[in-house]
Amino acid sequence: MKIPLSWLKEYVDFEDTVAGLADKLTFSGVEVEGIERLGGGVPGVVVAEVLAIEKHPNADKLTLCKVNFGGPAEMTVVCGAPNVAVGGKYPFAPLGTTLPAGFTIEKRKVRGVFSEGMLCAEDELGISKNHDGLMVLDAKWAPGTALSEVLGPPETVVEVEITPNRPDCLSLLGIAREVAALYGTQVKVPDATLRESHPAVEKATSVVVEDLVDCPRYTARVLQGVQVGPSPDWMKRRLEAAGIRAINNVVDITNYVMLECGQPLHAFDQKLLAEGRIVVRHPKPGEKILTLDGVERALEPQMLVIADAVKPMAVAGVMGGEHSGINETTTDVLLESANFRPASVRATSKKLGMLSDASYRFMRGVDAELAEFGSRRAAKLMCELAGAKLLMGVVDVRSEPKKPWKVVCRPARLEALLGIAAAPAEIAQVFAALELKVLKCGPDAIEVEVPTFREDLTREADLIEEYARIYGLKKLPPVRSMATIVPDADDKPAQAQARLRDVLVGLGLQQIMHYSFLAEGLLDLFDQGNAPSRVKLANPLTADHTVMRDALLPQMAETIGLNFSRQVAETAFFETGRVFRLGPDGKPTETDHVAVGLFGPAGRTGLDKFKPVEELEMFLWIKGLWEQASAALNLRGAALRPADRPWSEPGRGMEIVVDGAVAGWLGLLKAEIAKEWRLHEPVGLLEAEAKPLVKDVEATQPLVPPPSYPSIRRDAALIVGTDVRHERVVDVARAAAPAELEKIELFDVYQGKNLGEGRKSMAYAFTYRSKTGTLTDEVANGFQAKVNAALKAQLPAEIRES
Amino acid sequence: MDIQEVDGLTAQALAELAGAADLAALEALRVKYIGRNGMLPALMQGLKDVPAADKPAMGQALNRFKTGVTAAVAERKAALEAAAKVAKAGAFDLSLPGRWARRGRLHPIQQLIDKTSAIFRRMGFTVADGPDVETEYYNFDALNTPADHVSRDVQDTFYLPGGLLLRTQTSAVQARYMESRQPPVRIVCPGRCYRRDTTDATHSANFHQIEGLYVDEKVSLADLKSDIDHFAGELMGPGVKSRFRTHFFPFTEPSVEVDFSCHMCGGKGCRVCKQSGWIEIMGAGMVDPNVFKLAGYDPEIVTGYAFGMGIERLAMILFGIDDIRRLYENDARYLAQF
Repeated sequence: MKIPLSWLKEYVDFEDTVAGLADKLTFSGVEVEGIERLGGGVPGVVVAEVLAIEKHPNADKLTLCKVNFGGPAEMTVVCGAPNVAVGGKYPFAPLGTTLPAGFTIEKRKVRGVFSEGMLCAEDELGISKNHDGLMVLDAKWAPGTALSEVLGPPETVVEVEITPNRPDCLSLLGIAREVAALYGTQVKVPDATLRESHPAVEKATSVVVEDLVDCPRYTARVLQGVQVGPSPDWMKRRLEAAGIRAINNVVDITNYVMLECGQPLHAFDQKLLAEGRIVVRHPKPGEKILTLDGVERALEPQMLVIADAVKPMAVAGVMGGEHSGINETTTDVLLESANFRPASVRATSKKLGMLSDASYRFMRGVDAELAEFGSRRAAKLMCELAGAKLLMGVVDVRSEPKKPWKVVCRPARLEALLGIAAAPAEIAQVFAALELKVLKCGPDAIEVEVPTFREDLTREADLIEEYARIYGLKKLPPVRSMATIVPDADDKPAQAQARLRDVLVGLGLQQIMHYSFLAEGLLDLFDQGNAPSRVKLANPLTADHTVMRDALLPQMAETIGLNFSRQVAETAFFETGRVFRLGPDGKPTETDHVAVGLFGPAGRTGLDKFKPVEELEMFLWIKGLWEQASAALNLRGAALRPADRPWSEPGRGMEIVVDGAVAGWLGLLKAEIAKEWRLHEPVGLLEAEAKPLVKDVEATQPLVPPPSYPSIRRDAALIVGTDVRHERVVDVARAAAPAELEKIELFDVYQGKNLGEGRKSMAYAFTYRSKTGTLTDEVANGFQAKVNAALKAQLPAEIRES
Repeated sequence: MDIQEVDGLTAQALAELAGAADLAALEALRVKYIGRNGMLPALMQGLKDVPAADKPAMGQALNRFKTGVTAAVAERKAALEAAAKVAKAGAFDLSLPGRWARRGRLHPIQQLIDKTSAIFRRMGFTVADGPDVETEYYNFDALNTPADHVSRDVQDTFYLPGGLLLRTQTSAVQARYMESRQPPVRIVCPGRCYRRDTTDATHSANFHQIEGLYVDEKVSLADLKSDIDHFAGELMGPGVKSRFRTHFFPFTEPSVEVDFSCHMCGGKGCRVCKQSGWIEIMGAGMVDPNVFKLAGYDPEIVTGYAFGMGIERLAMILFGIDDIRRLYENDARYLAQF
């Protein structure tokens, strides 16, 4: 809301700078969003008309303008503005003028041509920061007119944001009340005494309100002999400074009074109302209305309209109708000052897509007791400014009036909540300054009566806030910050998740983050089977955010693709995040997941980076990553089993099993999917539930001391069929070996023509160690011989020992 | 051969050794002077013919010869070998790129969540968690936000089938947490929130907040101020302070908006704080009595404060990020800088 300060000062006195006022308002809850200075002009600056434009001989972007500024001669001015045009009128600073920036215009050469003055942009005049071009003035102004006349007297406009709890501040008087409380002065309420003439208003009109819930109050006054015409300049200027376009005196007065006191008003041309009377009712089926903005709107039964005897004339509290508006021929005005239920106005306003200054106020709540004052003020102004004759009395149809209510504030409670010890009298003084009536002021309690316009003050806490904001939040006493240890507050789950992230970072992965919703097509690409259990947004905003993610991998792959398209050919990412699915009961469930994505030579370092990455290598990276992570997380009871997923390359996927339950998958992305992003090399992916992975992070295990005796190593190269798996070799060897076999390490796999078709060589190192003594060569050889014999017989294998 | 001749021979040998051009020449000289068939054994052989009176002196002279030559050979050998290594250094390329282990990084949003959580942990808060999918009750009703309140507008909230919604604020955790335990409560809750905002440089439909809640007997607005001041200094640097401005939130009374003094200019005014010296950081206030009542706490017995702030906004301020969308774009080159 825009507050022209000269207008505000009509209702309240205060001694402060604009910045000081803005600061006080902001800290007490009326946030100042901007300060705008209007009018005033700059001494010496006048209107000039550009008569002719020539190119500057020495500069492409400059022009030479011949201007008439009402002086004895035409002047030639060098101008650089892009919007200068022949016939245009602009502010002109003649030679000798001093501009707000502090420099004085002198005759001087610009690129070799004399410039005799300056055509000005808004920033050069200190009006705004705009330097896009010359300030364009209305063609009606004669050259030589002082800019101060064009712009009007100086005005400062403070723009404030009013929070939803303070609809009483949506007016100048509301702000004036705040200012008065902050500066300890009084509000000057404008005069609303009326001179009424016979006959009584009841003779001229009647009002029926069919729904007193949606319309708790409707008042009507009738003014006759109205002369519709332009408003006086002072009123136009105030309205325009407040951001409202002046239309005619009658309409302007309704707007003026709304800004002044917060009561929205509407003026009907009474002669255009069938039977000249008002019926406040819900629309009948099929009724429509042409609103003031020229749009025909279909009405719905739960809306509320102001109708005449026949048809709707206005949407209650939202907008007037085209057919009953004030026009040049209007002589009789029916002045509406009413009150409508906020939720009803909100629903109607939203449904019709119409927001007006009136509906904005009604939606937030207008005090029903304000209707009469607003009506009187407008009627008074119409008598004064439009020559109207006011009929006697008012038609006032209303529900039970709201009565002021009592609230108690205990100083002890105030101190507990704010940490401020205040004397009861001090507290009472603040309440009184806010126009709360102090009924009792004792050491234990202060009782106040709250005026109806402060509907937000119903409880002790509300009063305590009033005290705090007027007393000043800057004066809160310093206290010592104390940490409190809360028993039984366990954040181990959060710490376990942090540990998981630390492990993945330690393994060289970059964390990424995606939105929780995405386009369903991306999820389908990975797993269409999940479609029935997806959680869809009921009111998505854009087509690419329609469904909650049920997996992390689709966005992971897409991001690898995005990076690849930007020439980042090597990526190692992880994400931790929630996935959403409908449970068996049809309700959304959410689970924390973790995903890893590897692409390019991400597992290599240094010079090896430039060799192409084979499928097996990528698979072993993603698998190794899992193995390392699970080891670092101390995870027990975990295993991998071959299993393909809809997104994994056939035969290149495994499922992660923890304590017998599938907790996730890892493998290579299916080439068909990868090519969506032109990824033609293997992509290693892993996704798992986060919780099972961290179940053992807190657990400890018995420590094993470092071995006391040296180990002995024996190597064996097995020539086996290509279908023999590493896992099988280890199983056979373990079964045959004694307890002294400490580890089996595969150190080479070789396939070559010399081995023959269908055969490969696998070289293993076997490490033996005894807990009770140093092993001899003979004993180790004996161990290995048993192992070799088993491998030969069971794989089968040929063996070359060493 | 007399003593002078032996000493002369020593000097000659040392001179020749010092001039040996390479290891082969050095070896030849070693053999010539002290090798098994070289001069030294021959001279030692001749010692027995030296008159008895001269023998000790001659012996010493021969010893000088032996030790001098032996030492000179070793010294020259070391010098030649070192020279050979230096000569070979051309093949050992010191300028090759170093080998890097892959370095992982947390996302900047995560870094801020961790950093803020760590500060609050030290102040006695524990980290709590709540669901992203919420009911109207926890997201609005339990937070004293009536059904016709502006923020309940479908415009601002993403709804899911069955009347559920995506939480618009981490404050939704407050009521859940209070329902499940008795005071005192001292928690922070970092998490995702969603608003039906068009995404642009400063708005993101999916974002993160961290919420704080402290409930006990005699918690006051002055405690909130001191605790937030402490947090401000820990997060933004020593000397950074907070200031409170009266505001409105349905779930706190009094409600305040909290600015931090600008960490870049110390409050003098700069580009970061838009010349104001202050940066808006969070919303806060004293828990509304209605919120306590709905959670089953007696507002006559306990008081409490709550606060909430946007993590993305903090990240943008602290790291100087110009566009919130960069945080969700996941360009590896950008993220690697945090």
